[in-house]
Parts: sequence; structure tokens; C-alpha cells
Amino acid sequence: MAVRETFDVCVIGTGAGGGVMLQELTRAGFSVVALERGPQLEASQFMSDDELAFVIRDQVFSPDQIETWRPDEATPAVRGHYNMIAHCVGGSITHWAAWSWRFRPDEFKVLSSDGPLAGASLADWPVDYAELEPWYQRAEWELGVSGSAGANPFEGPRKKGYPNPAHPPRATTSHVRRIAGKLGYTAFPVPMAINSRPYEGRPRCMYGGACQQYGCPIHAKATTFSIHVPRALATGRLDLRPNARATEIRLGEDGRARSVRYLDGDGKEHEVRARRIVVSAGTLGTPHLLLMSKSGAFPQGLANSSGQVGRHLTFHHFAAVHFTVEGETRAFTGLEAQAAIDDLHPSDPKRGFIRGGVVADANALMKQPLAWALQGLGGQGRGWGADFKRRLRDFPRTVPLAAILEDLPMESNRVDLDPDVVDDQGLPAPRITHRQHRNDVAMNRWFTARMLEMADAAGAREKWESISPLTVAEEGAAMPGSVHLHGTSRMGDDPTTSVVDRWCRSHDVPNLWIVDCGVFPTSGGYNPTLTLLAMAYRAADRMIGEAKRQNA
Amino acid sequence: MSGLTRRELLAGATVYGGAALLALHWPRAAAAAKESATPLVLSAHEWRTLDAVAARIVPSDDGSPGGREAGCVNFIDKALAHEDAATRPSYTTGLRGLDVVAKRRHDRTFVELDEEKQDAILAALQDGQADGWPGDAGPSPDFFETLRSHTLIGFLADPKYGGNRDFVGWKHVGYPGPSHARGGYTADQMLGKAPIRAVWDEEI
Ligand SMILES: Cc1cc2nc3c(=O)[nH]c(=O)nc-3n(C[C@H](O)[C@H](O)[C@H](O)COP(=O)(O)OP(=O)(O)OC[C@H]3O[C@@H](n4cnc5c(N)ncnc54)[C@H](O)[C@@H]3O)c2cc1C
Ligand code: SF4
Repeated sequence: MAVRETFDVCVIGTGAGGGVMLQELTRAGFSVVALERGPQLEASQFMSDDELAFVIRDQVFSPDQIETWRPDEATPAVRGHYNMIAHCVGGSITHWAAWSWRFRPDEFKVLSSDGPLAGASLADWPVDYAELEPWYQRAEWELGVSGSAGANPFEGPRKKGYPNPAHPPRATTSHVRRIAGKLGYTAFPVPMAINSRPYEGRPRCMYGGACQQYGCPIHAKATTFSIHVPRALATGRLDLRPNARATEIRLGEDGRARSVRYLDGDGKEHEVRARRIVVSAGTLGTPHLLLMSKSGAFPQGLANSSGQVGRHLTFHHFAAVHFTVEGETRAFTGLEAQAAIDDLHPSDPKRGFIRGGVVADANALMKQPLAWALQGLGGQGRGWGADFKRRLRDFPRTVPLAAILEDLPMESNRVDLDPDVVDDQGLPAPRITHRQHRNDVAMNRWFTARMLEMADAAGAREKWESISPLTVAEEGAAMPGSVHLHGTSRMGDDPTTSVVDRWCRSHDVPNLWIVDCGVFPTSGGYNPTLTLLAMAYRAADRMIGEAKRQNA
Repeated sequence: MSGLTRRELLAGATVYGGAALLALHWPRAAAAAKESATPLVLSAHEWRTLDAVAARIVPSDDGSPGGREAGCVNFIDKALAHEDAATRPSYTTGLRGLDVVAKRRHDRTFVELDEEKQDAILAALQDGQADGWPGDAGPSPDFFETLRSHTLIGFLADPKYGGNRDFVGWKHVGYPGPSHARGGYTADQMLGKAPIRAVWDEEI
């Protein structure tokens, strides 16, 4: 195979992490080739709000995804489609809900603030909140986050407010406020990377309700798809290749990554060469690619001298409670979440578990009728017949509450290559080995109980615990997948226990970076992506500075 | 009444996951639904049986339209012809199994039974307690969950897929239909202070 082209940088994966790298590196003058497994979608494809196609069948974002899962090494892995990931230009942030938090300072230091704990591979991040603060600010202003600075008493110190004001409330907001008032908590608007007013050429949100799990038809939602990729293309220095799935990163004799092999949409193999390689294929995709890239120097997979690639996989788990009230709640309008309570977030071992998470009026299980019937109302009675039909009518009168919960890393929770199952391109399926630490189950139960109390505080007529594959309220529960995936390319100072350094650079291969949620040593009790974006801006800045010094 | 077990719910989740895996290009079933409201893959007897099942999963005894009036069987037929084709064999064995159980209990096929008897058989399937359920049809709770979820989807998915006829499902739950193409919602509508005009041109 003739390899004629050489780029300054090859970025593999155009999701949240990869998108920032594309934008920053092309703007700094690098020639960049981007390989993206999925297609280029158009915003107009998101106009339909078609719940069956987008949500239930997942036909738009990752119809080709195959994974296998087992709870432990002794159990055979079962083939399925467990994780929500978008394979398209823009990656999973294309269909995100856009909750945009800064992690709290202690979320970077879980080992020293709460550890050690038997069975969990707790770790401190090699970076801290103060170091990331300016990069959080950068990310918030690039995305146009709407929020109310200072409204969350549990947030770390910030030097600058949000670029856009908080969104107008929906009827569920008043119930969250009522709960907070009664129980002595603080209710505040969820910071959302969605325009509450026109911002940098993108319009104001129209509060259509079908937001999470959909792309935004008008670019009001801040995404890589709407911001970073177009800006990178505008430089004229980005060669964007959709439907290009990287299959191997090849090493040169000098121990540096030299080229990337990929399959195009027709299954034809190509190879591109680059001076630097950034892997942003996501928490599943990156270890999958590294483990497929075996060589004499790296018999257990590229950049894996530590044996840590794929390990410490964390999946946020969720607890969900729904309750009905007098009058309309209209949870099917607006953003996924509008109002939050963070009082239960700070870690307190007296509760019987460490760590915590945030609670909000998240409508994921009831933004549209299918989610409502199959999951929001799921587990109620027999789920059919006259009684269930009557309950279906509570759709406009129900308040959804959900807690996003920090799960603990375990070395045995991992992604590797399935030896038996191949996908339709002939590549081994990523195999997930994952079960819950008992801390997760205790936390999930405790948060469920608190949210049931919140329902009472709001004067609930009926209340119930909703069960979905993302809740782990039972002893022995195991999750095959999640919406928030982290770990697998752990960041750390010690090359024997981590995969990348504090700048997201491989300890083993000097011209290889990993910039995706895989680098998170622990998962935090907030949605993860603003933290990834901050880390990406910081990594890009470092890379550009270094390159300039080398050329000077 | 027993609640659904977690295992059953997760089995349901796998049904959708499996459907996603085998997804053909959408919306073929939608196109098919436009072409015909008569069976594409179901036999006449299967169609009648499923229609009876749909009428029990979402009944209309309360006087408002249910799974039968919504055309859930038409939705399922079109789905089995296209996106959910992989599920077709389990319908063949499962619907046969339903009749085996009905005949063993009452010496009649499922459609010939009265609603009370039909309900009892469906509940037995759901609980895994259906005497005579054939071994080749897989666990009866799994088949029941397929029936249940497909019927609910047929009741509540966009009418273009062949169910939710005349928006009866959306009217029942109080969902006004897709909103982005109609301009989204105002601040007053989000607060419940202003009515919303539904896709069927009524205010809710
Ligand atoms: C429904 C949903 C809602 C969410 N809501 C929120 C939210 O409100 N707030 C929040 O903070 N987070 C949210 N998230 C999480 C957020 O989407 C992820 O944290 C974020 O996208 C992760 O970024 P990433 O760069 O690690 O990976 P991704 O964004 O997944 O990007 C990885 C990219 O790599 C591509 N790829 C994979 N393998 C290859 C290969 N071999 N070759 C080429 N390309 C490849 C993929 O196609 C994809 O485009 C949500 C996620 C989901 C699924
Ligand atoms: S609710 Fe707002 S951000 Fe979400 S898809 Fe609609 S217009 Fe876009």
C-alpha cells in the first residue's frame, strides 16, 4: 500500500475530545487529517423528533455498534448494543443533553479525600481544579454555557461568570424549588451548553423537548458538530474523512507512532502518515484501537507497557424517581434538565458509602411517550391492561427526578477484544467486563430513598422508583453500559500505573496523545464532558506550545 | 398484581437493542405502512390473534381507543417486515404457543376466548406459568415482553409507522406530537400557562 500523504497531525475520532483538538490544531497552523468512523450528518435530519428511530431503535447514531458484555471473567460474554455512543462527525456530544458542570475540587482527589477502599482502584488525578479553572472558563465561553454563576453553593471558585443567562423555567422547576425550600436545599438552574440567547452565530434554543438523544436541528445546542468541526474546516487545514475507521496505529523504528491504517465505507484499506497522532475514539473506541495495534515493541497493544489500557472502566449509574402532582408539569418541553439540587453531592462516609452525585428534573425517561411507557412508567404493576392505560395518562402531570452518580473504578472492570465475536467489518467486538462495586449499589439505594422523600416534600400523589438498565438499586446489579463512559486510558504521573501523563500524552509513545473521557481516573458525580473539553483545550495548548518551541 | 421483575425489564431492553442492531434503513417500515394496512408478513390468523392481544395490553373498556383502535397489529406487521425482521420467527413460535396454551385451558384458540380468559392467559405468560407453553418458543415472559413492548410502541410511535391511528395514543397520554418542526415551545407553554396546539390541530 503506497502511503503518499504526511500530515502534521492525525486525529482519530471527532467527538468531544477530538473536536477541540481539530479546532485548536488547525487554527495554530497544523495540517490535520481527521478519521471518523461514522458519517457526516446534517442538522435537518434532526427536525423529525422521531422517537422510534432515534431513541428506541438508535438507527441514526450507532446502528453498526456491536459490543459483548460479561459481569466477570468466568461468565461467557453476551453480544448486544449496550452503550450510547454516536458514531458520526461530532461524536457522542452531538446527541448530548448539554449539562455542563465543572467538577468539584475534591472530585479530582478521590483517593486522598476518601480512600483507599477495598475493591476499588481509587486514584487522584495528576491535575487539580485550580489548574483546570482557566480551561473550564475557556470551554464555557466557547460553548456559550447558560447558567447562573454562584447559584450552586457546592461549586469550586470561579473567576468569571457564565457567558449566557440561565434558561427560563418549565413547570417542573417550581416543584424542584418547592422540594429545596421544604428540605433546606438549594435549587438552581442546571448549567446547559445551550443558547439562552443568540451566541456567536448560533440561534437561541426553541425548547422543543426532544433534545437529549437527538441532534439539534438549529445548532442552538453547543456541540463539536456545530462548533469545532466547522471552525476547523474554515481554516482550510482540515482534511475531514467521515466513514473512515482506524484499525491500527503503526509504529516506526524510532519508537514513534508513524501512520494509521483505516477502512473506508467500502471496506477498502488506506494508510495515512502523521508526525503526531491524537486518539480520541472514546472510552470504548480508544482501547479497542490500541489493543488492535500490536507490535514487537508493544505485544499487548500500543502504549500499553503498563497493562492498564482498557482497565478502570467507569460507568455513571443513575437513580430515578417519578411522581405525579396536581396540575401540569410539561416535562416533555424544554431542555433535558432545568433545575438541580446538589446538597447531597458531597462525600460523607457516614451514609454508608463514599462519594455522591447531583439530582435534577431530568426528563430522559419521559420526554416523549415511548420512553414514558417503556421506562419512565416501567415496573409499575404488570405494565399493561386497564390500570396501566390509566397510568399512561399521567404523562403531562409527572415530575421526573434523576441522580447522576459517581461509580468507583475497579481494575477488573475493563474493555478488551472479544476473541469470538467480530463485527460487520470483520474487527473483534469490544468486550466489556463490568460489575458494580458495592459502594455503587449502596449509593444508588440511598439516593433513591432521598428522592422518594423529595417527592413527598413536593406533595406527590403517586411516586415510584423507575428502573432502567442505568439504575443499580439491587445487590449484585451489573451494568453492561451507560451514557457516560470513562477510564480505560487512565491519566497519571506514574507510567507503571497509568496510560497517559498529565498532558494526555502517552507515557510510552512520545508523539501519541489520548484525548477523550478515557483519561478520567475517576468519574465524578456530574456529567463529564465540560471537564473533558477543559482538558482538551489544555492539552492542545501544551502541544502547540511545544511544537513552536521545537521549531524556534 | 406482581410488578415486572428487573429481569423482564432488561429482557425488554434487549429487545430494543437487538432491533437496533439489525436495523435496516429507516423508515422502510414507514413506507410500507403507507402502502398497505393489510398483512405483509402475518397470516390472517396471526393478525387476528395479535389484534386481540393488543386489545388486552391497551384495552378500550374505558370507552377510549386502545391497542386495537390504534392499529397496533398493523404497526407490528410492518415492523416485522422490515426493521424487526429478526423477531419474526419468535412471533411464529410464540403465537402458536399462545394457541397451544388457550386450547389446553379452554379447547379454543386465543381469539375465540372472552377477554377475561385472554387476560388470564397473558398474565400466565408474563409470569412464566403458562401450562403447555412449547419448549421451542423460548421463555414465555420474554415473548410476552416482546408483545407488550411492541404493542406499546405501536400505540405511541409516530403514526407514520402504521399504528397510533388518528393519534389516539398521543391523545390518550396528552403528548402534542413532535414540536421542533412546529417551532418548539414558548416560556409560557413550558410553564403550563399557555395551551399547546397539537399536531392534530387541537389545543391541549
Ligand atoms: C444520550 C447522551 C447524553 C449525554 N448528555 C451529556 C450531558 O448532558 N453532559 C455531559 O457532560 N455529557 C453528556 N453525555 C456524554 C458525552 O456525550 C460524552 O462524555 C462525550 O461525548 C465523550 O467524548 P469523547 O471524545 O470521549 O467520545 P465521543 O464523543 O464518543 O467521540 C468518539 C468518536 O470517535 C469515533 N471513533 C470511535 N472509534 C473510531 C475508530 N476506530 N476510527 C475512527 N473514529 C472512531 C466515534 O465515531 C466518535 O465520533 C451524554 C451522552 C449520551 C450518549
Ligand atoms: S431543545 Fe433547544 S438545544 Fe435542544 S434540540 Fe431543541 S432547539 Fe436544540
